[in-house]
Amino acid sequence: MHKALFLPAIYLVSSWLSGAAWATEAPALRALHVYPRDVQMTSSRDRQSLLVQAEYENGITRDVSTEATWVLSDPAIARIEGNVLYPLSDGTGELVVAYAGHETRIPVVARDTATSLPISFRVDVMPVFMKTGCNTGSCHGAARGKDGFRLSLFGFDPAGDYFRLTREISGRRINLAELHESLFYKKGTGQVPHTGGKRFDTESEYAKILVRWLEAGAPDDQGEVPQVTAVEIYPEHAVLDGLGANQAINVRAKYSDGTDRDVTTLAYFMSNNDNSATIDQAGLVTAQNRGESFIMVRFGTHTEGSHFITLPKDLKFQWQEVPANNYVDELMFKKFKKLCIQPSELCTDERFLRRASLDIAGVLPTVEQYEEFLADPDSHKREKLVDELLSRKEFVEMWVMKWAELLQIRTTREISYKAMLRYYNWLQERIANDVPMDQMVRELLGASGGTFTNGATNYYQNETNTLKIAENVAQVFMGMRVQCAQCHNHPFDRWTMNDYYAFASFFSQIGRKQAEDPRERIIFNSESGEVNHPIGGRQMKPKFLGGAEPDLQGKDRRVALADWLASPENPYFATNLANIVWAHFFGRGIIHEVDDVRISNPPVNKELLEALGRKFTEYQYDFKKLVRDICVSRTYQLGTQTNETNANDIRNFSHASLRRVRAEVLLDIVSYVTDTKNKFQGLPAGARAVQIANGNTSTYFLTTFGRAERGSVCSCEVKIEPNLSQALHLLNGDTVHQKIQTGNLVGKRLEEGKSSEEIVEELYIRCLTRRPTDKEKQELQVILAAEEEQKLALEDVFWGVLNAREFLFNH
Amino acid sequence: MSARILSQRQSSINPPVKLWQNLEVGSGIVRILVLLVISGATTTNLVASSPRLSSISPHGVQRGEEHILTFAGSNLTDAQEVWFYDQGLEVTELKVEDQAVKVTVKVAGDCRLGEHLAQVRTASGISDFRTFWVEALPPVAEQEPNGDFSQPQAVALNSVVVGDVGNEDVDYYVIEAQKGQRISAEIVAIRLKDALFDPYVAILNDRRFELSARDDTALALQDAFASTIAPEDGKYIIEVREAAYGSGNRYRLHLGTFPRPTITYPAGGKLGEATEVRFLGLPGQEFTQELTLPPESPREFGVFCHDDGGISPSPCAFRLYEHGNAFEEEPNDTVEQGTPVELPLAFNGIIQAKGDVDHFRFTAKKGQTFEIECYARRVRSALDPVMHLMQADGKVVTSNDDSRGPDSYFRWDVPEDGDYVLQIHDHLRNGGPDFVYRIELQPVAPVLTLGIPRIERNGQYRQQIYVARGNRFGTLVSADRTNFSGDILLEGDNLPAGITMHAEPMPANMSSIPVVFEAAADAAIGGKLIEFKARHADPKQNLQGQFRNRADFVIGPPNQTVFRSKEVEKLAVAVLEELPFTLEIVQPQVPLVRNGSMQLRIVANRKEGFEASINVQLPFRPPGVGAANSVTIPEKQNEVLYPLNANDNAGIKKWRIYALGSADVNGTAWVSSQLATLEIVEPFVTFEVQRTACEQGEEAQVYCKLNHHTPFEGEAKVELLGLPAKVSTIESLGFNQQTGELTFPVTTVADSPVGKHKGLFCQVTIVQHGEPIVSRAGGTELQIDKPLPAPVEQPAAPELEKPELEKKVEVAQQEEPPKPLSRLEKLRLAYQQRLAARAGQ
Repeated sequence: MHKALFLPAIYLVSSWLSGAAWATEAPALRALHVYPRDVQMTSSRDRQSLLVQAEYENGITRDVSTEATWVLSDPAIARIEGNVLYPLSDGTGELVVAYAGHETRIPVVARDTATSLPISFRVDVMPVFMKTGCNTGSCHGAARGKDGFRLSLFGFDPAGDYFRLTREISGRRINLAELHESLFYKKGTGQVPHTGGKRFDTESEYAKILVRWLEAGAPDDQGEVPQVTAVEIYPEHAVLDGLGANQAINVRAKYSDGTDRDVTTLAYFMSNNDNSATIDQAGLVTAQNRGESFIMVRFGTHTEGSHFITLPKDLKFQWQEVPANNYVDELMFKKFKKLCIQPSELCTDERFLRRASLDIAGVLPTVEQYEEFLADPDSHKREKLVDELLSRKEFVEMWVMKWAELLQIRTTREISYKAMLRYYNWLQERIANDVPMDQMVRELLGASGGTFTNGATNYYQNETNTLKIAENVAQVFMGMRVQCAQCHNHPFDRWTMNDYYAFASFFSQIGRKQAEDPRERIIFNSESGEVNHPIGGRQMKPKFLGGAEPDLQGKDRRVALADWLASPENPYFATNLANIVWAHFFGRGIIHEVDDVRISNPPVNKELLEALGRKFTEYQYDFKKLVRDICVSRTYQLGTQTNETNANDIRNFSHASLRRVRAEVLLDIVSYVTDTKNKFQGLPAGARAVQIANGNTSTYFLTTFGRAERGSVCSCEVKIEPNLSQALHLLNGDTVHQKIQTGNLVGKRLEEGKSSEEIVEELYIRCLTRRPTDKEKQELQVILAAEEEQKLALEDVFWGVLNAREFLFNH
Repeated sequence: MSARILSQRQSSINPPVKLWQNLEVGSGIVRILVLLVISGATTTNLVASSPRLSSISPHGVQRGEEHILTFAGSNLTDAQEVWFYDQGLEVTELKVEDQAVKVTVKVAGDCRLGEHLAQVRTASGISDFRTFWVEALPPVAEQEPNGDFSQPQAVALNSVVVGDVGNEDVDYYVIEAQKGQRISAEIVAIRLKDALFDPYVAILNDRRFELSARDDTALALQDAFASTIAPEDGKYIIEVREAAYGSGNRYRLHLGTFPRPTITYPAGGKLGEATEVRFLGLPGQEFTQELTLPPESPREFGVFCHDDGGISPSPCAFRLYEHGNAFEEEPNDTVEQGTPVELPLAFNGIIQAKGDVDHFRFTAKKGQTFEIECYARRVRSALDPVMHLMQADGKVVTSNDDSRGPDSYFRWDVPEDGDYVLQIHDHLRNGGPDFVYRIELQPVAPVLTLGIPRIERNGQYRQQIYVARGNRFGTLVSADRTNFSGDILLEGDNLPAGITMHAEPMPANMSSIPVVFEAAADAAIGGKLIEFKARHADPKQNLQGQFRNRADFVIGPPNQTVFRSKEVEKLAVAVLEELPFTLEIVQPQVPLVRNGSMQLRIVANRKEGFEASINVQLPFRPPGVGAANSVTIPEKQNEVLYPLNANDNAGIKKWRIYALGSADVNGTAWVSSQLATLEIVEPFVTFEVQRTACEQGEEAQVYCKLNHHTPFEGEAKVELLGLPAKVSTIESLGFNQQTGELTFPVTTVADSPVGKHKGLFCQVTIVQHGEPIVSRAGGTELQIDKPLPAPVEQPAAPELEKPELEKKVEVAQQEEPPKPLSRLEKLRLAYQQRLAARAGQ
């Protein structure tokens, strides 16, 4: 608590310093924000702290709460102490905040100022456990508690916590006769030895809340308890000017009874990037190095965040105009400007040809395509190329493969090879026929029938556990990992156990029966079966995740869910799919990982993600159009070369990143350049690795290069990180060398009477989509001249090119 | 156009292939049999017992032609005859070549199309039966390579392509068709019953567009058929492959202009009556035909669709029923709209479209009981029916989905007179123009079925009756009683001349009994497929049943499931060449008692020169009787003892048993003993044996009280067995009818194992008629303790008056040998001694 007491002093000093430094620059003030934007006080015990943020023309923001002047239009209704308002009598008024010539007014309402609300275990006491860390997983929130005392993790079970505090060991944890002798009070305040140490001072607000509760007789809550419906964090965003700049955070909770409450002192604060900005538990953000951070606040089951940018002190940045190809670029540039980043230059035509071919179709351009593209004088030739690639079967196959990973298409104990193939064919037909994603998802999740007659039903054979199905659906179609909420409320997201089990109950009525063919099962709506909440065992009514509780009378629950899931009513569907598509082309999602959407993992460019989602919905969920938007954008076409401003940027797509080509595509392009064929189980000879239907069909090469086994829906299944065994396999393994031999490309070219120079050039174009540089030519000439047998020498060159990083990476 | 109905009824005629001529007048039918030309190989008559048939090739033959069928397997070199289960197939020549049987068969022009069965009789046994197909169209062989769409194999329309699909193999055929011509492709693959081959068939135009493509069909399950009308003159490509690009096997692709309906409507009719039938699922025009149904119901019955374009290669399933048909009338989607129908007509309908629900309204009387059977998948409809029976107001009385596989069934006792409504819909609420069903409300009927339990998990080994001349063969015969109980009498009337059946009536509480068949020494070599029957022992019941046997042909994952099987209603019986040994159970003169054991003596009579060892089994064991799986009469020996044990619940009864012997006679030959009697009775005497205890090195007494149940003559003996190591007793004690008590002295040594030894028991041997009756008569436990440490020296206690009990003991000692004390008595004594000692201190 000492730390907290000292903080205001530090705060003052630092704001003074930053204020002074600013004064020399004196950029114009653009706006003055007062947070919250209204004040509502509803009992004698209520209060509201406020903060004032100045926003300058260059985008920098500054906390000027202590420098601003505060005047209340009717001083009778409240008094101002520092930046906190305390109610005096009922009434309404206006708070006028002035700073540097700017003035902002906010309404102030005081009601029921004569009444003092009784203390509530759930509303008042439980937040103390959270704030002071009592119920975290490392302390008493552990599954078996700590040192003999257990609290529910982050307070998911208030009734249980009340029982354990007051009834489990009577007369020990609380002592109503000698209040200050209550063990939990003495432990928390460090008066007796406590493994967790002293959590708060006896004079602190937290201690006072506990004492008040004990004085009241440690009552349990009766009747309806107001629930937190929303948590607001202020300021909504901030741009901090250099190391050490500060910004205070203000948190307000809104309750189901219509009241609100200043919970700044009760909320738990986190930063997702301490390298850029740190926050202490008093709610004071301190700028560190240049970058972005997301300042999060957790109160009750709610987590909210605010976007903070830290810029180098007194950064001189002048945005150089670059043309935007579409909305993707516009929104990207907007963000770059905020971050004071200049994007890289456009990549060359050669690079673009290789990049787009690999990304869109999973193929390398042929020598003819290369020559044709380079020679094309059309200024829109890149768009033309994108359109041409999008129209190819290989584009479909690429996305069938990606979806097959998400839908875990593979043989299992439950899914025979035939059923798996039906599942795969179902998916392939959908994607090949441009079936809109929403319709596909509806068909999939609402699927009924035989696993042979309706391939989509295999989705429910792949996973038969109700809870796991729900988790998979949330992860694939909403990008959310709700697994945590199976046992306790999600610690970094809004999902509670109620949400989890109510969502799972959409999948509790899946009937399965044996079909006539012993290998086939029939999936149907059994119209019975419920999910019970593990605490209290109550039956959970189906409720959309983050949505409403639908009327399901006489309906197939899965169909109702699919209808909602794949509709604009579900805020996550379109953006999630857009993010998956985006991640394919940039190697990284706007939310990264793509299946880890949570409040504490915000998108790097929220506006862009929302725009993509909106467009996707407008396009009737035709993702091909979305792919086009992305691929014709300037952002996609940027070079990998960085400049001074974006050299350290790895998250904002201000330059292209190097991405190792994924396993299947790599094997396919190795086969293509060496002019060889592959043979995979269950597929005719010559089939491409991208076309493998079964997740369980693999080769040493594919496994080494991280092909997904489709054992889970996790995006982490596909591994594109390079490693030593991959390098060794390419160098010494049987793939590259054998394929060069089998394909005999060099031999064929020599037979055609091509010269060594011509062959080298073709190899470069085939593999790297570029001609060898003069330097390379000269060096190769030396090598070729030294070797008598040209075929051997040229094959060595071929082998060298295939082992070059330039070949293995998309750039 | 005329539709042809061909019954798959299995005829009861003698097999057409015979070695001799025979006129049989008894049944009123005179049969003239074909004299067979016997090849050289057969005349040498190499005995090769236990013949097995693994395949018949080719898998199909065109009718109206003569073909050579090859029967391959093992031990077939002495083949003499081939039996077909159906008419229209005549053997003109049989010879053995390369271990296989080559049979020239004349297939009659009107031979029933579709699957047929055949098996081989050899001089020394009967093989399994296998299937082959009779086809209407001529065969043409596949020629690889034909895996490229652009280079398909050209074949003529109206032929059967005989092909093979390897791993990831695709076969393409091209045919020429005129505009408007029907193209049908039906593949018989898994139905050949030799591999789990799930085929896919498609008819494509030359631009790769599929005109008709099928994988699985309700009619043929994994097998497929496609049918279309050629939209223009030109080439059409037929694609054949395994559904999942896996390895397939042989197939026969019927490629022609024949009609290939999916089902008929109605899918059943009244026996002996003319019925109008609509063929559904045909491309282009559907058509209706009038059929005259047979007057009696064969086990399987199907309808072949036939028009100018040809005849369908396989039939549509069709129910024969003793009552006529009633038909749904749309709209009947609600309870109120239910089509009024009268019992006992069968209700027929089609779930026409997605979401369709049909209702039938009928009147029933209190006291009636119905088996309500919905036939949908059983008549090969795509419908998966769900039936609800409702009161007239729509209140559901009962319902069912899948009691008969996908079909629905329930039994219903009509609670009161009134109107009732039967509702039917698809389980997934699907529908279609060929979602045909029929509902039959039948009275509860008793059904009796006989069988021979399997020896192999999926094979037919020894599910035939083959008896060597002058010898015997035995088997278990099982009976499945549905909707009745009671004793059953087996009937051996249909057996070939010279074979006698020995069997007791099968009691109501048993589901199988031993049956021994005996062939006279002069019985003619040969045999036939017979209807093996049984009837209820109570003639008033008027209930008959017959033998039925299912053979499993295609087994596959998951869990070794049977994909394709075939059921027959005939039992193959034959008299074989003589065998060089017979078997006899020496009838025991004494019973086997509960908790007793017996050495059953089995004697082999060997012919001169036959020295092989003989394996002997006891296939039938009375309940509660255990025995080794088999024993062996060693080479050159004639006798073996088969140890039997009876537990304390063994069934008290005179049981009939037989011993089945097998020996290697160029293949395994089987003979049976006579049916011998094994009587199981309660033990003659039981023992109550007291627990006893002693310290190491001491002697203990095991006291036994005898309870006599059955009188016996002379002296019996009892042994105390199960003693732990380093403990001994006397060898045995004798006793007779009058003995009431016995005592075994048990000696321990200083290092006899300490603890409770529970395994002690008395084994009694009573000899009667010169044979022992051995039983375990009672068990007990012996406790051996460590000796207590030597007592601390104490001053001599004053002389006390001896306790009462001790006095008694002393008295007894004077008069007669001391009565051994029970463990409890000893403890009491010790307690009293301690009390006394304390009182004296």
